[in-house]
Amino acid sequence: MEFAYAMNKSATGAVAGKDARDNAAGIMTLLDAEPGQTYIIKEINTDDDEMNSFLFRLGCYQGEPITLISKKKKSCIVVIKDGRYNLDKLLSEAIII
Amino acid sequence: MRIAFAGNPNSGKTTMYNALTGRNEKIGNWGGVTVGSKEFQLKKEFAGDKEVIAVDLPGAYSMSPFTPEEGITSEYVRTANPDAIVNIVDATNLSRSLFFTTQLLELGIPVVVALNKTDINEKEGTKIDAAKLSAKLNCPVFETVSTENKGLSEMIAKAISLAGTIQKAPYLQADIDLHDKNAVDAEDRKRYSFVNGIVADVETRKTLSAETNKTDKLDSVLLNPIAGIIIFAAVMFAVFQISQAEGPLGIGKIFEGLFTGWIETFQGWVAAQLENSPAIVSAIIADGIVGGVGAVVGFLPLVMVMYFLIALLEDCGYMARVSAVMDPIFKRVGLSGKAVIPVIIGTGCGIPAIMACRTIRDERERRTSTMLTTFIPCGAKIPVIALFAGAFFNGAGWVSTVSYFLGIVLIFLGALLIKGITGYKYRKSFFIMELPKWKIPSLKYAVRSMLERAKAYIIKAATIILICNTAVQVMQTFNWHFQVVEEGAENTSILATIASPFAFLLIPLGFGVWQLAAAAITGFIAKENVVGTLATVFALTRFIDTEELAMTGGASTVATTMGLTTVTALAYLFFNLYTPPCFAAIGAMNSEMKSKGWLWGAIGLQLGTGYTIAFLVYQFGTLFTEGHFGTGFIPGLIAVLCMVAALILIGRKVRAHFDEQYQLHKAAKAAKATA
Repeated sequence: MEFAYAMNKSATGAVAGKDARDNAAGIMTLLDAEPGQTYIIKEINTDDDEMNSFLFRLGCYQGEPITLISKKKKSCIVVIKDGRYNLDKLLSEAIII
Repeated sequence: MRIAFAGNPNSGKTTMYNALTGRNEKIGNWGGVTVGSKEFQLKKEFAGDKEVIAVDLPGAYSMSPFTPEEGITSEYVRTANPDAIVNIVDATNLSRSLFFTTQLLELGIPVVVALNKTDINEKEGTKIDAAKLSAKLNCPVFETVSTENKGLSEMIAKAISLAGTIQKAPYLQADIDLHDKNAVDAEDRKRYSFVNGIVADVETRKTLSAETNKTDKLDSVLLNPIAGIIIFAAVMFAVFQISQAEGPLGIGKIFEGLFTGWIETFQGWVAAQLENSPAIVSAIIADGIVGGVGAVVGFLPLVMVMYFLIALLEDCGYMARVSAVMDPIFKRVGLSGKAVIPVIIGTGCGIPAIMACRTIRDERERRTSTMLTTFIPCGAKIPVIALFAGAFFNGAGWVSTVSYFLGIVLIFLGALLIKGITGYKYRKSFFIMELPKWKIPSLKYAVRSMLERAKAYIIKAATIILICNTAVQVMQTFNWHFQVVEEGAENTSILATIASPFAFLLIPLGFGVWQLAAAAITGFIAKENVVGTLATVFALTRFIDTEELAMTGGASTVATTMGLTTVTALAYLFFNLYTPPCFAAIGAMNSEMKSKGWLWGAIGLQLGTGYTIAFLVYQFGTLFTEGHFGTGFIPGLIAVLCMVAALILIGRKVRAHFDEQYQLHKAAKAAKATA
C-alpha cells in the first residue's frame, strides 16, 4: 500500500518537464496545465484568506499535488486528495503550479 | 443522551441518521443537502432501554466554518456538549476526511468513527485497515454502509457505551495564538502531514483517484457549456412533461384522472347525504369543504410524480454537475452556480429551497438567491397551473412549460437588477463544487420522498386549506349583519367587501373582480388555496376534472363563470405564480436573510414582478387579440412606472453608500500594504 500511495505522490514528478514551458513571467496556473497531469501546487493566490483556508482544508495548498482531469474555457475539473472538484476560471487562475 | 453526527459534506450522515431514527430527512448525492441541525430519538432496536437522541448536523470540512451551514456544525459540537460524536468518514476520501476527525478528537468528547461507503471502496479495490486506523486515532472505527444498514448497530452501540468516557487525542494542536495567521497555517500543515502519514499507513488503492475514468467522460459532456445546458433543459423538460403534461409520457395526468374520479364519487355521496339539510349547511359542507379541499387534493398525483422524479435527480449525483455547468451563466447575472440547487428544490417547495441557499458563501449572492428562488413555481402552484391549463387552454402542455421557463427568466432578470442595485462589481466570487461519484438513484428513497410529500400535502389540505375554504365559504355566505346574502346581492357579502378594494387595484391587470382578488389573497396563506377558493367562490364543485369538463364543454363553462378570457386567465395565472410566495416561505426568507431591508426589498420586488408581468400579458395580449389596450392601461402604466422609479431611487441610495464603503476599504487596504 505504501507503494500505491508513493505512486500517487511520485506522479507529481511530471512537474519538472512542465516548468520549462512556463511563460515569461514564470507563472503557470491551472489553466495552463495539461489534462491528465499531476502538478505540485506552488502557491494559492486568491487574495481572500477565507477562501485560501477553505482550499487548505480540502487539501489544496502549497506543496500538495493537484491533478487536472479536464478543462473548459471557463472552468476545469481537478483531483485534490481523493475528491473531484469543479473550479471556475477565477479560482483556476489563482492556483499557481 | 445526545449523540451528534458530524463529518464531511456528502459522507452519508443523513442517510445514517434516517436509518437509525426511522426519520425521512432529505438526502441527496451532493455536498450541502443538510443545512440545519435535526434531532430525533434513536429507534428502540439501536438504543435499547436508553433514551438516545441522534443529532444530524450539516457537513463540514473542519472546525473553521466557510459557509453558514458549516458554522452550525462547529458551533454545535463546541458548545452543545453532546455525550458522544459519531464521525462519519467518507471511506473513498479518507485523506481529506481525517483532518476534521483529528479536530473532533481534540474536543474531549468520545468519538466513534463510522467508515462509511465501504461498499464503494470494495468495488474500486481500495482497502483501509480499520484496526490499524483505530489504533492510530485512538478511537473505535467501524466499517459501515448506511444505505444498506450495514455495521450501524455495532457502531452506535459503541458510541452509546462510550458516553462519559475520555479518549486521548492522537494529535493535539500546539498552544498558539489563534489570531496569528502564520502560526495557524503552520499548525494546520502539521495536522495535515499527521493525517497524510496515517493514510499512507492504512490505505491501499488499486485505482488512483487521479486516473481518468469512464465517468469523467460523462462529466465532460454534462459540463460542456453548450451540450451540458441543452441536456439540463431536456431533463427538466422531461420532468415537467412526465409529471404535468398530457400525452404518452404524462404519468402524472393518468393518475390524476383516476384520482379525481374517486373524489367526485365522494362528493356525490356527500351531496346525497345532505339532500335534506338546510341550504347553508350543504353549501358550506358540499361546496366549501368538500368542493374546495377536493379541488386541491385532486391535483395531488401531479405533485407526487414531480417529487418522485426530483428525488431521483437529487440522489444520482446530477445536481452538482448542473450547478457547475450553470455557474458561468449565473455568474453573468451576479449569482453563483450554487443557486441552481435551490431553484431545482424550489420546484418542490420554496421553504427548503430558501434554506438551501445557506450553502452559498457570499452574503449578497446568498440573499439574492433567497429573494429570487421562489420565482420558480413550487409544488403548491402545480394545482393552479393545471387548473388554468385545463380550463382555459384545453390542457395544453405549453402552459406549464412556459410557467417554469418564465420563472427562470425572471430569476435571471431579477438577479441582473439586484446586481445593478447592489454594486456586484466590487466582489470576487469563486466557485468550487465537489463532483460526487455517480450512483444509481434509490427507488425506495424516491418512493419514500414522494409518500412523505403526499402525506404533508393531505395534512395541509385537511388543515390550513380546509379552514381557509370554510372561512371563505362563510364569509361569502353572510354579510356584515350576519344575514345570509341574498341571490343577486353577492357583492354585499363579507368576503366581497373585503376583497373589492384589492380587486380595484387589479383592474389594469384584467381581473378586477372580488372573487379573483379573494383567491389571490388566500393564496398567500397557501398557494393551493387559489384553486380551493376559486372552486368555492364560483361554486364550481366539479371543476377539478378539467378533462371531463372539456369533453362536456364544461371547460368553457368554467371560463364563462369566472369571466376570464384566455388572455386575462394567463395574466391571472402569472400574477399568482410570481407574486410573493406563501407566508411560510416569506418567514423562511426572513430568517435566512437576517435583514429587514432585504426582506422588504424581496417582497416589494416579488409584488412588483407579479403585477408587472400580469399587466404586460393582459395589456399586450389584449392589444394583439383585440387590437386595443385593455381597461386601465394608463393607471396600470403609472403604477408600473412608479415601481421602476422606486427601484432607481433605492439603487442610487444603496450604491452611494457602497461606493463610500469601497473607497474606505481600498484606503484601508492601501494603508495596510504600505505599513
